[in-house]
Parts: sequence; C-alpha cells; structure tokens
Amino acid sequence: MEFDEVEWLRRNNAAWRLLRADHAALVLSFLGRVFVEENVRSISGVELTARLEDELFALNERLGAGTFPRAAKSYLDDWAQPEVGWLRKYYPPDSDQVHFDATPAVERALSWVQSLQARSFVGTESRLNIVLELLRQMVYGAETDPDARLAELQARREAIDAEIAKVRAGQVEVLDGAAQRDRYQQFVATARGLLADFREVEANFRALDRALREKIATWSGSKGELLDEVVGSRHAIADSDQGRSFHAFYDFLLSPQRQQEFSDLLARVQSLDVIGASDPRMRRIHYDWLDAAERTQATVRLLSEQLRRFLDDQVWLENRRVMDLLRGIETHALALRDQRTDGLVFELDAAAPQVVLPMERPLYRPRAKQPLDSTVDTGEPDVDVSRLFEQVHVDPVPLTDAVRAALRRSSQVSLPEVLANRPLEQGLAELVTYLSLRDPGFDVVFDEDRRDQVRWYDPDGRTRTALLPAVSFLRRVPALDRV
Amino acid sequence: MAATRREEPSLSVAAVHLMKGVVYRDTHPVPWHHLMRLQAQVRDYVAVLGLTVVIDEAEGYAFLRSQPGDDEADGQQAIRRLIPRRALSFHVSLLLALLRKKLAEFDASNADTRLVLTRQQIVDQCAVFLPASTSEARLIDQIDTHIGKVVELGFLRRINDAEATYEVRRIIKAFVDAQWLADFDARLAEYAAELEATR
Repeated sequence: MEFDEVEWLRRNNAAWRLLRADHAALVLSFLGRVFVEENVRSISGVELTARLEDELFALNERLGAGTFPRAAKSYLDDWAQPEVGWLRKYYPPDSDQVHFDATPAVERALSWVQSLQARSFVGTESRLNIVLELLRQMVYGAETDPDARLAELQARREAIDAEIAKVRAGQVEVLDGAAQRDRYQQFVATARGLLADFREVEANFRALDRALREKIATWSGSKGELLDEVVGSRHAIADSDQGRSFHAFYDFLLSPQRQQEFSDLLARVQSLDVIGASDPRMRRIHYDWLDAAERTQATVRLLSEQLRRFLDDQVWLENRRVMDLLRGIETHALALRDQRTDGLVFELDAAAPQVVLPMERPLYRPRAKQPLDSTVDTGEPDVDVSRLFEQVHVDPVPLTDAVRAALRRSSQVSLPEVLANRPLEQGLAELVTYLSLRDPGFDVVFDEDRRDQVRWYDPDGRTRTALLPAVSFLRRVPALDRV
Repeated sequence: MAATRREEPSLSVAAVHLMKGVVYRDTHPVPWHHLMRLQAQVRDYVAVLGLTVVIDEAEGYAFLRSQPGDDEADGQQAIRRLIPRRALSFHVSLLLALLRKKLAEFDASNADTRLVLTRQQIVDQCAVFLPASTSEARLIDQIDTHIGKVVELGFLRRINDAEATYEVRRIIKAFVDAQWLADFDARLAEYAAELEATR
C-alpha cells in the first residue's frame, strides 16, 4: 500500500477512526456487546440510550465521576453522525422512534481488536485443507469436459473405497485432540465472521442502491437508455454478484434438511471432550445466521421494491421536473426576499371536501353560575407566619466584595481561591449565589471541561462537597483601555 | 356494526372516510381495506358529487379531488366545487416547495421511505429566503408559524420524539406537484417583474 493510501484510510475510514478515538474502549465494548454479541440488528433509540446510560453510570462509578461526562444521548448522536459513521440512524416505517443499527465499521474494528487477544494455539492444518478444497471446487466446478469430470469423480470414489476397505480391516484413523481443536477454532472463526459479514453485505446493498439512485437522478439521456444502462432487469440488486451469492446462502440455510443436519453435527461437536470449554454462542449460531440473513433479505426486497417505484415513469419525470422548477423558484424567492410579499397568495386544494352540518352544532346552553365564596375560615386565628419568612436569604453584596477584593491582587481568580479566604457560611444557596453574581467589575466564566470541588460545613458540622464546572472570575478591563 | 365487518366491504365506510380526509394505509387500515376492495363503486359514487378518488397504492394514501375542469366549465352545468381551496402565503408556499424538493432529493439518495427533519434543519433551509433584517429570534418564530401551518395542512407530521422532529408526509407529492410548482414559479416571476416595473 502506498503512503497516501494508508494516510487516507487512517483519516477517512470509519473503522480506523473508531480505533483512534479517545473513547474507543467505550464504543467497542458497548456497541460490540449490543450489536455483535447479542446480534441485535435494530434497536429503538430510547432503549439504546437507556442501556448506554446504565453503562456510563457503571463506568463513572468505577473510574471516577467525569470519565464519561456527557449524556448517553449525546454520545449516540455523535456516533450516528454521517461523518463519524459508527451507527446507522433511521426511522422504520412502523415507528416514530428513531432506531439504530451498527455499521460494518464497528464489526471490523471489533474483529481486529479481538484478533489481538492471544490465541492458545494457532491451527494451520484445517486451513490448508480448506484451501485445497476450495481449489478443487474451482478447478472441477469450471471443468466442461465430461471426461475430465468423470475422471475426478472416479478418483474420489477410489479414495473413498480405499478408506472403506481400511475401516473394514479395522484400521480407523481418528482425528487427534489437536486436530479437533484446530478445526473447532476454524469453525468458530468462520461462523462469527459470517455473522459479521451480513452487516457488510447489507451495507453494500445499500451502497449499490444509492449508486443506482444517484445515476438515475442525474441521468440526462432517455428513459429507455437509462433502463438499459442501469437496470436491465427489475432485480438490479438481487442480480448483482453479491446478491446471487447471498441468495444461494440463504436458500441453503432455509432448507430444513440442512438445518437439521447442522444442528445435529453442532450438538455432537459441542459434546466432544477435547474441545474443552466450547463457545456458548456457537450452540445457536445458525439461528443467529438465520435472523441476520432474514433481515438482510428483507432489506434487499425493500431496496428492490423502492428502486422500482423510484424508476416508475411518472415519479421519475416528476422528480426531475420538480428539481428543475425548484431552481427557478429559489432564484425568484431570493430576489423577492426583501420585498413585500403580503399581496402574494397561492392556492392549494384541500385534501377533503368541507362538510358543514349546521344541525351538528350544539344549541346554546346557558352556563350554570357557580357562586364564589372566598372567605376562608382558618379555624385557628393565630398562625405563626414567621416561618414563611425564615427562608435562607443570601446577600450578594458581601460576596461581590470578596471577589473584588481577591481580584485586586490578580486579574483572575478561581472560585475555590475566593472560598479559601471566605468560606461558605450558608451552604449551597451561597454557592449558587456566587455563580450568579453580576458586577460591572468582573465576568464570571464557566469552564465545562474542568471540574472544581467545593467543600463546606453545614450547621450540624458535617462536611459537604459539591462538584461543579470550574468557575473563574475575570477582572474586566475598563472600556477606555480597550479603545 | 355490520358495516365494519371485514368480510363485507362497505361503501359507506370507504366513502365517509374519504369525505373526512386523507385515508392512509398505515393509520387507517380498516377504511383502506374497504376502499381497496370497492374502488370502482367509490369512484362512481363520488363522481356524482363532481369528485374523483386519487389512490396511490405504492405510497399508501387515498384522497378526493375535484374533477378537473369543473370550475371553469361552461355555463350552468358546472357543479359547485365541494373541495375548498386553501389560500397560502408566499412563505408557506415556499416552505412547501422546499419540502417537496427535500423529498425528491431524499428519494434520489436512499431507499428509506420516511423523510424526517429536525426543526433546525427546516429553519436552516428557510432562513435564506426570509428578509435578512429580521432578528434571529423573530425569524425562528416566523418559521415556526409557517411550520405550524404546514402541519395543519397535513404535509408535516410532528413526531413524538425527544427532539422537535417532523416527518414530511409523502402525500405532499400529490399536491405540491410539478404543475403546482410551475404555476408558483410563474407567479413569482410575474411578481418580480411587476416590482421591477414600478420601481
């Protein structure tokens, strides 16, 4: 790879950006758990926010308040921004709540991070077998000469016959523990990889759809040419390479025989002793595949459907015309921007007839008068009202003086410095008053990024602590000096 | 009520709902179902009133429209139109046009069916076209009023989400169509020319 290429990826690839992010651990662990481990493909914003809130709370509790100072929602909004691109945010047709799904970037970053964990051993034999098998499939699958095919099939039969003869003779070759573990590891990696790939498959379908739409929207030739050019058939998406491979997989997965065979084999493998602690997720991996594949399938169906509608003659022409007209309208509207437009009235049909039924209206009904008796019988004439007035009152004047005094020595002073000279006497109320001081001599500046701790003793002698944004008082430069 | 039984589509249910307003597949499943099965009858029925049914099965909405040409029809035969015309101010009309454009752009760039805009996005889009002299706060107030009007017209729908967000209802395509936009454009051009002449 060239330097520039790598540099470009480092800057622009969402997965790499995720790895570089300061809070990558949070993103990867949280999104990884929800979207990858639990195989969630769509979750409502409310639910995801609540889960992230719990997560943040637990982390802040453990690592100290302020480790993750922002609200869950603001993190999610950030991650879903197009230029960040770790979450896909969308409104499903049947819900008014925003929904989220992870993007393939999260899967990629996560699988890279997972690959960093040391493996107890690295099996290579099974992979060699797979590679060989793949080569064989390619060579003989593409062979058109019947003789060559027959020869290959014969050779395979001979090998099987030889094996049968061996077993009959009592020579049974058994995979040893290492070979079994090797294969199991390979199986787990492939199975998980497959699950991760679905997200990418779906994203690729979306990208394909977007590319087609762009092409359609900017097409300047005739409609017929467009159809020839872009979508020879209405299954433009399903007929792509990716679409075909995906459908073949899906059909394979849907066959009940295959499912049964898969479940049986899986159960037997899981019970082998040599595997040791088997991956609990593998037990139902094929259901997870099925879930994920179904969703992808639904996406493809939806995309094809929408694309066909978008290509519909009238919609196509209308949309192009609308875009053309809008250009003129915007120009004219800009020209009229500072003119009086009261005289301009446009008409638009309502969506339904107006049916006015005079007899539907209720008859006049005089309101019953409710006499209002405002005399209050307290029953107890001597109420002690003084307590009402004994609320805490903080006089801002001495506080302002304290700040001014401190500012005489330096041009800037922080709140804790002021409090060091003049401790809080009235507790929280007094602290709040400091924050709201107004004075021509100084400005109160809040720094949301830093935190200050303030302590005081309440009347019972207990220590109280408040955590607040760092507050400083800045001496105001007299206006004359500024000029 | 016998009229709402599923197996027996009822002309009354379909017709009455249409008289009351737009019938959407997702929010009015029952009348939608009746309407789908009785399209021809409903068509004949409302034709008597000088109305025609517009059904977009792909988008999932249906509504009534005056039969074209009735207003200018010659002489006494003209049927009085039952569907009122709404008068819209320049800015509300412009907002409609801009929303229609947003929808066209949205359709051209992805396959989601629901275009959801935040209030801020709508404000940003409109702000350019409002007099620069007005203060920021007043400007936003004005745009809010316009948005309210468009919600009332049924082309925006407030979404019950934490933020102020609106869904652009796809039915806007049926009303703010190329024809209407062309008229709008022509009127604006005319008006601009008039202003130029009187200056």
